[in-house]
Amino acid sequence: MNFDVPISPAIKKLQEKREWSNNHLRLNTERNRIITEYYKSHEAEYPILKRAGYLYQWCATREINIEDDEIFLGGNGPWARTLHFDIEATDPNWIPRCFGDTDERFRRAWQVPNCVWVDDDERQYLLDAAAWWRERDISAHVRGLMTPDLYEKFGNGVIDADMYSTFITYQGHFIPNYDKVVKVGFGAVRQMAVEKLAEIDAHITTETARSHPFYRAVIKTCDAVILMAHRYAEACRKKAETASPERREVLLRMADSCEWIPEHPARNLWEGFQSIFFYQYLLSADGAHVGDSPARIDKYIGELLENDLKNGTLTEEQAQELCDAYILHTGDLLVLCTYPENDEIFKMHEQGRNLFDTLGKDQNVTGGMNITVGGMKADGTGEYNTATKMILLAYYRLKVAEPSIALRINEYTPDEIWALGIETSKRLGGIPQFNNDEVIIRQMLEKGRSLEDARDYGIVGCVEPAVCGKEWPFVGSAGHWGGFGLIPVLNMCIYGNVNPMTGVEGWVPCKKLYEYESFDELLKEFEHQVKYYLDYEAKIYQLNALVFDQDFPCISASVMTEGCVESGKDVTWGGAKYYAMGAMTRNIANCADSLMVIKKLCFDEKIVSARELYDALCANWEGYEKLHQYILNKVDFYGNDVPEVDELARWSSSLWLDYFNSRCCPYDGAMNGGANDLAFVLVGKNTAATPDGRRAGEPLAGPNDPRQAMVRNGPLSYIKSVSTLEFDKFRCGGAINLRFDANSVKGEEATAKVRDLIETYFRELGGMQLHFTVADTAVLRAAQANPADYQDLIVRIAGFSAYFTHLPFEDQEDYINRCELAI
Amino acid sequence: MNDYKSRGAVGRIYDIQGYAVHDGPGVRTTVYLKGCPLRCLWCHSPESQDFGFELGYLDVKCVGVKECDNSCVSACPAGALSADEPGGEFPGSGAAVRKVSIDREKCTRCLKCAEACLPGALYTAGKDAAVGEVFERLLRDRIFFKNGGGVTISGGEAMSQFDFTYELSVRLKEAGIHVCLDTTGFAPEEHFAKIMPYTDLFLYDLKCMDSALHERLTGVPNELILENARFLAENGAALQIRIPVIPKLNDREELLGKAAEFCVSLGESVKLVQLLPYHATGKGKYARLGREYKLKNVEAPDDSRMAQILDIFKSCGLNCQIH
Repeated sequence: MNFDVPISPAIKKLQEKREWSNNHLRLNTERNRIITEYYKSHEAEYPILKRAGYLYQWCATREINIEDDEIFLGGNGPWARTLHFDIEATDPNWIPRCFGDTDERFRRAWQVPNCVWVDDDERQYLLDAAAWWRERDISAHVRGLMTPDLYEKFGNGVIDADMYSTFITYQGHFIPNYDKVVKVGFGAVRQMAVEKLAEIDAHITTETARSHPFYRAVIKTCDAVILMAHRYAEACRKKAETASPERREVLLRMADSCEWIPEHPARNLWEGFQSIFFYQYLLSADGAHVGDSPARIDKYIGELLENDLKNGTLTEEQAQELCDAYILHTGDLLVLCTYPENDEIFKMHEQGRNLFDTLGKDQNVTGGMNITVGGMKADGTGEYNTATKMILLAYYRLKVAEPSIALRINEYTPDEIWALGIETSKRLGGIPQFNNDEVIIRQMLEKGRSLEDARDYGIVGCVEPAVCGKEWPFVGSAGHWGGFGLIPVLNMCIYGNVNPMTGVEGWVPCKKLYEYESFDELLKEFEHQVKYYLDYEAKIYQLNALVFDQDFPCISASVMTEGCVESGKDVTWGGAKYYAMGAMTRNIANCADSLMVIKKLCFDEKIVSARELYDALCANWEGYEKLHQYILNKVDFYGNDVPEVDELARWSSSLWLDYFNSRCCPYDGAMNGGANDLAFVLVGKNTAATPDGRRAGEPLAGPNDPRQAMVRNGPLSYIKSVSTLEFDKFRCGGAINLRFDANSVKGEEATAKVRDLIETYFRELGGMQLHFTVADTAVLRAAQANPADYQDLIVRIAGFSAYFTHLPFEDQEDYINRCELAI
Repeated sequence: MNDYKSRGAVGRIYDIQGYAVHDGPGVRTTVYLKGCPLRCLWCHSPESQDFGFELGYLDVKCVGVKECDNSCVSACPAGALSADEPGGEFPGSGAAVRKVSIDREKCTRCLKCAEACLPGALYTAGKDAAVGEVFERLLRDRIFFKNGGGVTISGGEAMSQFDFTYELSVRLKEAGIHVCLDTTGFAPEEHFAKIMPYTDLFLYDLKCMDSALHERLTGVPNELILENARFLAENGAALQIRIPVIPKLNDREELLGKAAEFCVSLGESVKLVQLLPYHATGKGKYARLGREYKLKNVEAPDDSRMAQILDIFKSCGLNCQIH
């Protein structure tokens, strides 16, 4: 199939502009100035009214610019592309550290060509504002509620790498109700709030009292976003006065639309997309919840697109152009989600990069936004429309990596969408992510979602499934680091309740590896500790929710989220139809392999005493190289379809997930355990040597994936091993990564075989999510340099396959040259 | 015969690989048998040629002789190993180590060093396995064999270990698994007659139409190969003909024209002709076995040349593809 639809000149211009703007970025100081000034002058206002009041102020006074070549209007800041952050939800020391540095160092980081620019007056303003927020921001409120041990001991060296950051992010990480924005609009919501307010106003009760300010806040927020749209309309008309005749026509049409949406339902595709953007800006201004995700965009606007094609208002090319522009514009909504030090920025500048280049270090530059396409209608038939294809085509042709995109797979997925999904992955490693409807819908039902709602799930952030527009707040309360890996706990059991790398003691006194009488005793201790720390995690979630309930409600989400206006409650007060809290476990492979080594060597075969293994670990394998090599090469590890070790992977992950999923969730929601990892390098640095042969400080394995270097039998065995995990329990996500070499996926026949593989994984083996990547030259070069990390990389050499790292250097060179020619 | 646990004939294999996407239709797992009567100059799998076990050495895996307490050197009764290979790096720390070096003249192929080598740098190429054992391993991948996928038995020359190959095919076929047999065609006709009912598709090599030249390039003449191909075609087997294109050696227009004619003469049996352009990858594997790569000064054919050759076959009405 040919997917090479040409890219229009208007889209090319937008692409060029993006390139330019990556070196001319500004921080979104405007938003932080408006919220700070509003909060300073309304300290006594009731929190939810203060939220709405600030949002109104932002919509009424923010700078509005109509940019020359833009197809959609606006952005999170004054320009389409600004680097957004929330001053009340950052690490409170970040601004003093970076902007309070010496003048010389500040300028070197923030005022040199091609950097992310901060003016002198912005610098001073942000420093003063940060000082004001110091005792008023989210982290201050968390400190005011919790006991210090909750974040000093649980995180930072014992179990998690960086628990501190989990307390300063907003709740959120949810799927806003864009469907309602497009199809109903804010006018109708406002009307409903007016009526509900009138109902309770006359005879107020203790039960309804809190809804009184809530409905007033809803009305004010609807007014705010409608006002913002009208201001854009006015600005378009003004700009039209001096524009070229063609642009004038476009601007006047946009102006007409902005007077209609988002108050009323969208009438055409452009209005559908633009109303989504208006709401998105409002949500960001309220608080950048990491990873708020548009999700099922093809569902929201599919009908509008098909109508426009049918009635001739758009040609196919024009519709594709709007889909392309939607993806590019969404990718412009940049979020600063890690806080860089000036020294790091100097280093980036020396390497000819800037802060923007490293934004994606932990997640994508849009702060973890995810778009979901395809899936099912409420009645259980397939939902694939022209927009599904056009959105995927946008990724395929524009080669954009963000926002992330998830493709839902079920029995109705058309052949063309399968092929396009696979072809896109070949070009853009890991894009889209393939999701198995069968497993995810079953999980949703298990969590108590109705069948219709279960079918309306989308992916949030990286891998987390949630119901669109009805569910709050997903991973929000414990932030994006929520959860902990299996290895830090296992190491507590091995080293006797201490992390030897940090010297920090854990909370559950226990024996050392050589003191256990049997393997079972060790497993029992491990189980005990996993449960102990999960209870702790659950406690943090419950307490943390109180902070938001009281001081940081989220009115922008509540206006649209199903259940809130109906019940008169904010999302942070329990108003949404569904609640879920997620946490992630990690390093399943290191845990299974380590347990296997202990079981086999110390207990079953008694090749080495537990004492000797313990000593080898304490010595970080130095002086124990033969034992180390024996472990690395003679023990069966996870990822090779060996049932004994695969069972340990299943057991340990299910232990974690079963227990977490059964904890009590804030707002009576469902706890959602999953596996995902953004910190395996970071946590690895603080993790001592592990029995699986890993040295101290080395990175840990990915969340569910077998250790790359230990996969010895190729992709089929890899998939078999992984599918022993019980994915029905991975309610918060469980993606695996498959890596192919370029030659083995070339051509349509190979595409069909990749589809066979994914279908087998999904339909026969109960797999949940999968990405595949194709090893490009960069990967092959990395494999040459670090063969130990790439031992599973199989390359296809017309006629036979071979492990790339096993090829002699000249063969590797030859292969790289041939791949470059072939792609 | 139907007892999956029965051991059956023992075969000498050198690899089993899942997701072998170029070895026939669908998702396949391929078993590679060791030993081949041919010695094609361009062979990219030197370990597939010799019927005996061989000592291989993969230097990237060696962590240093001293670091392993001299295990390999002291295991060698012939004094063929020494620790005098400088320039190695210890994985992780990067500390300088001395890796092992092999004196192939002295090596008796006793393979004791491979047994002693924990990192697997010194290894035995080849492994004996009974049909039952291999069959069970293949069954583990069965869930993936959809849309025409299945098992490919390859080599070396699988037909040279006929009892093993035959029994394995029968078991696979009886279990309802699609079987491809990758062969040079250099085996007795009665073996082909016997295995035909248990083979869904033959991946059949046609290396050169001139018998004398065939002998120079591969060590054997081609008459038997051509006769077997005719025999299989006449008896209704499905064939996928594979033609390696080795510049200057077997790619004369006249020879390729004859190959095309021959394929046409086999009629409906030929489902597909695959043209496999020469590549030098595999060259380095010779060094690992301490052998010499004899083909020098041959370059991979470029795309336009391959397209020309493709035309020759297509113009005869054959279903033909590159790779």
